Order: sequence, then structure tokens, then C-alpha cells
Amino acid sequence: MTTPSRTLAASDGGVLRAAIAYMLAGFGGFLLMGLLGLLMRLDQGGLLAMPPQWFYRIMTLHGSGMVASVLLAALGGLAAAVSETTRLSARTLWIALLIYLLGTGFVDLATLVGGFAGGWTVLHPLPFDARTWTLAAALQMYVGYLLVATGLAVFCTHILVATARTYGGLAKVLAWRLAFTGRQPDGALPRPVELIAAVVAIDGIICALAGAIYLLPLFALAAGLVGNVDALFAKNFVLLFGHTIANLSIYVSAGLVYAALPLYTNREWKTTWPVAFAWNLVIVLMLANYSHHLYADFAQPLALQLLGEIGSYAVGLPSFIVTIIGALTLMYGSRMRWTVTTIFMALGLWGWVFGGLGALLDATIPINQVMHNTMWVPAHFHTYFLLGAAAFCWAYLYHVVATLSRTPDSGISRAAAWLYGIGGAGFVLMFFIAGANSVPRRYAVHPPQWQIYPRIAVPFVLLLTVSLAWLTWDVLRHIRPAWIGTRGGGGGSASAE
Amino acid sequence: MNPHLVLAALLALGTIWTAAWATILVRSKRAIPLDSLERSESRVRVGLLIAFGAVGIALFVLSFRWLPYRDTRVAEFGAPKIDVKVVGVQWGWSLSRDRLPAGVPIEFAVNSVDVNHDFGIYDPEGTLLGQVQVMPGYTNRLIYVFRRPGTYTIRCLEYCGLGHHTMIIPLTVTAATTK
Repeated sequence: MTTPSRTLAASDGGVLRAAIAYMLAGFGGFLLMGLLGLLMRLDQGGLLAMPPQWFYRIMTLHGSGMVASVLLAALGGLAAAVSETTRLSARTLWIALLIYLLGTGFVDLATLVGGFAGGWTVLHPLPFDARTWTLAAALQMYVGYLLVATGLAVFCTHILVATARTYGGLAKVLAWRLAFTGRQPDGALPRPVELIAAVVAIDGIICALAGAIYLLPLFALAAGLVGNVDALFAKNFVLLFGHTIANLSIYVSAGLVYAALPLYTNREWKTTWPVAFAWNLVIVLMLANYSHHLYADFAQPLALQLLGEIGSYAVGLPSFIVTIIGALTLMYGSRMRWTVTTIFMALGLWGWVFGGLGALLDATIPINQVMHNTMWVPAHFHTYFLLGAAAFCWAYLYHVVATLSRTPDSGISRAAAWLYGIGGAGFVLMFFIAGANSVPRRYAVHPPQWQIYPRIAVPFVLLLTVSLAWLTWDVLRHIRPAWIGTRGGGGGSASAE
Repeated sequence: MNPHLVLAALLALGTIWTAAWATILVRSKRAIPLDSLERSESRVRVGLLIAFGAVGIALFVLSFRWLPYRDTRVAEFGAPKIDVKVVGVQWGWSLSRDRLPAGVPIEFAVNSVDVNHDFGIYDPEGTLLGQVQVMPGYTNRLIYVFRRPGTYTIRCLEYCGLGHHTMIIPLTVTAATTK
């Protein structure tokens, strides 16, 4: 294995330890939520008899926990990458992490103890209108979401202020002169990862605000201060919050590819005009496409429906034309060696595009009429989440651990990483096929004619389980030397083997 | 729109992407100076931008023709001849009529007395034909023409609580038209 030279050398050790805590907490949450996902597919395949009440509680926890876990891992990676050039506060990172984890604790409490099973989208007024959980359980869920949004806002505000301070202002870290005039700035250009950090921080703050706008009226409703909250208003804001937080995972983790891939290809990924312009576009486009979730809500104004469609198409352009093509160009002819990091990055590029294709088809309104609310939705989402965002996160986790512990990865670990791709691809393909056969999503009980799809998916999930079991063991045995490697000012100068 | 055609489109596009991705991965082992790639990269980017932009605009314009919303459906099928009032409630459906004729534009006016539901129409073979969200406080209107007789199924497609998967009702479509 090649451990990349001089990476993380300038990072503050305390910041790196906080970043590792984020990544490990995210990875751990991902593993647990993955096991819950396996239980759900076993149940849908008729291979496990789970009461619907427990299925829907697990479904609620799986969805919210998985989004929170992968985003957390991505944020940790981003902090580590940005800390190479930008002074971050370890204390602020820990505070944000504790608030975030406290929020996930409330979600656990609401679902596992309170019996809350309102789905991770907590679509109003279902949490208030339940028959099997209490208002207290719904409020625990809302408090959990509010705390996660607060933790995210603290993290994003800190990243935004820190990167802007490093480069002399927001306009400079966002490379506006280059992006909008094509001219080079007077001072230093940010690296792509810092530009991306500022972009996702802005959207993260807006996303957290959307969460607050959604949740505060519901707290007022619970307290009896208002008589009603409009269902369409609530759906718009919960999806502006929920869809954006899920999108943030992929965009934050894409920043990790910009940070690490150059080290493995020995090629610089420059902040060129396309990179600067595309990522500034992402600030707006990431927020403009959530309304594709509301095509079937015919009461939604037509202009917002059409914005959802054109926004969904548009957001794919900067991602594919700049990031995907840029990453593939960096790899092409680079004599790059296969490591766990580069394997996961390659898988992530594949999954992001394949899942994106499924999403683009579903974002076309007439197609959405027959695909929405079927298994097609978890299909495309799981593809660019499991094989896109999460794969990029594990790539960066391995990069940090290998660099700081100065330990090469093994052939078994590389095989496990490829196995993750095979297991993941087979797993999501069965979602796509089920969706094309109109199997509804979020059904606790599948009649026999639908059970074939989860039954074929389960062996692929077991391949994923085997892969992740090995990778977990591998990460854990190297985490102590990596932690020690953070002392004395970051990673030092790790050498290539 | 046939969902299997959507899957075929995905698999076709996905195969092209996978082949391109795999080719680049295999060629990552070669030694090619980055400078020599930069012009090609720019050409590829411009080409893809034009191609994707054209496809996106074409899809966007084409989709206007098949929007599921009332004005488009009236333009396509004519004014609805039969009105059906649909009420969703945890966890069942109430329809003002449960026998409907084929070949006639029918307007389903849907609303909910409790939480969000989704009125999904499945044909006798189990293929989803269309859907509309059933929202508390709003009446959404879906116009649909059944092409052939048979026993259709209405399923709730928006998660609405622990009995969500049981929220199903049959709908009989007859060959005869109602005057």
C-alpha cells in the first residue's frame, strides 16, 4: 500500500482527534443502522416474522440514523481535510459533535423506548395523529432533530468562519472573482476542498434553519399556542430540511475525494474556473430540487413542481461534468495503485452516477407518476448513499487511519473493499427491479409475489456484512496507532512505502 | 408510462456509464502525462454539457405533454364525465363509487380526514398506473381513463402509520360506459 506523503502533516492533533471521533461515530452508526436494514429486508422477504409495529419503528430509526451517521462521518473527514490549511477549534468541533450525538440519542429514545414509528420524514400531522405512540415520543423525535440541526449549524458556522478568515473573506474562499469573471484573484486561491467546505457550510446552515422553521410551529402546536399547522407548508419545509441534509452527505463526501485523490494519483486537483463556478452553482441548486418529492401533491403550485424538475436536472450537471469527469481524469493514466481508499473512491464515483441516473428518471414528472413511492425511491437513494457518499467516507476514513498509523492496508482489506461494491450493487439492483415492478416502499408486509426481490437481495447484504465485518476489525486494530499519530501536531510526514 | 421501460432506460444508461468507468479504471494503470489529457478533458466537458443540456431541456419540454395535473389531463382526455369522491382515513378508503366504466375520463377528488395518504391505482396485473397525494386540508383532483375492464386495486403509497400496508381496496372497472 502507498501511504500518501505529507498529508495531514500541518493539521492540529486535537482537531484530528475530534475528526476521527466524528468518522468513527459515523461509521459505527452506519454499521448498526445497516444491521437494522438487513432485518427489514429479511422481514420483507418473509424470512423473519417481525410485528409491523417493530418494522416501522426500525424503519424510522434506520432512515434517520443512517442519514445522520453518514453525514457525521463526512463532516469529520471534511474537518480533517480542511485542517491542513485552516485553523479549526477542536473544542468547537467537540461541542458540535456532542450536540449532534445528543440529538441522535433522542431519536433512539423516541423510537426504541417511546415506540415512535412516524418514519424518518416525520410527515406532519402523522407524528401528532398516532394510535400507538404518545405525543411525548413524537416530541422526543422532534427534539432529536432540532439538536442534530443545531449541531450541524454549529459545525457549519465554524467551518465557514474559519475558512473565510484563512482566505480573507467569504468571497475569496468561494473564489468568486475566478468563478464569475474568470480572472485569478490577487491572493491565494483556496484548494477545492476549502471552497467545497464553504459551499456545504452555507447550505448546512440554511438546511438547519429550514429544520427550525419546520419544527418550531410544531412545538407551538404541541404547547397549544397555535391551532393548526398546514400540511403542505410542513411538507415543504421538512423536505427542504431532510432532502438537503441527505444531499449534504454526498456533497461533503465529494469534497473528501478532492482532498485525497490527488495524493494517490500524484496529480494536483486545481481550483480552476469550472471547479469554482460549478461549486458556487451547487449552493443554489442543492436547495432548488427538494420539491421533486411533492409532484404528487397536486396542491403544490405548478411553478414549484417545474422548478423541482429543472432543478433536479441542473444539479446533476456540475456534479457530473466537473467532479466526476475531474476525478476520472485524475485517475486516467496516473499509474494509481489500488488501495482501500482508491477502491472506495472508484466505487463511490460509480454509485453516485448510477444512483443519480435513477434519481433523474424519477425527477421527470410523468415518470414519477408511476415510480414515486415504489422501491425505485430507496433504490436510487441507497445507490448514491451506500455506494456514493458512504463509500467516499470510508475511503477517507481509511486514508486518515493509514496515514496517521503509517500502516499499509492488506490484500484482504482491498478484497473486502471490492466485496463492498459487489454486495452493494446486487443489493440496490433488487430495489430497482422491485420498483420497476411497482412494489411499494415502506410496507412492513410483502405478499408472496413481492418476496422474491428481498430474498435475492439478502445474500448480497450478507456479502456487505462480511466486507464490513473485516473492515471494522481492520480499522479498529489501527485506530490506536492512528490516535497516537495525531500527537505532536498531526500526521507528520508519512512516507510512501 | 411503463415502469419496465424506465428500468430498461436505466440499465441502458447504466451499462454505458459502467463500461466507461471500468475502461478508465483499467487505464489508470498506464502512464499518461496529465498535460496531454487536459485538452481532451475540456472537450469532453463541453460535449457532455451540450448533450446533457439538450437532453434535459427536451425531457423538460416533453414532460409538459404528460403532466398529471388537471389542465393537462382535461386537454388530453376532455372534461371528466364522472366524479368520484375519495376519503382516506387510517387505514381504509371510502369511495363514492366502486364500479366505474372503462374509456371515460373520471375525476377522483381525494382528501384525508387525518394524516397524509397517497391514492395509488394498480392495474389487475399489479402495475402502478398513477397516484395522487391525499392531504388533510386539501382536495387534490386526479383525472384518469381506465383503458380496459378488470379488478383494479387502490393502495396507500404514503406511509401513514402502522396499518399503512393494509390500506387497500378493490375497484371494479366495467366495459360498459355510464350515461
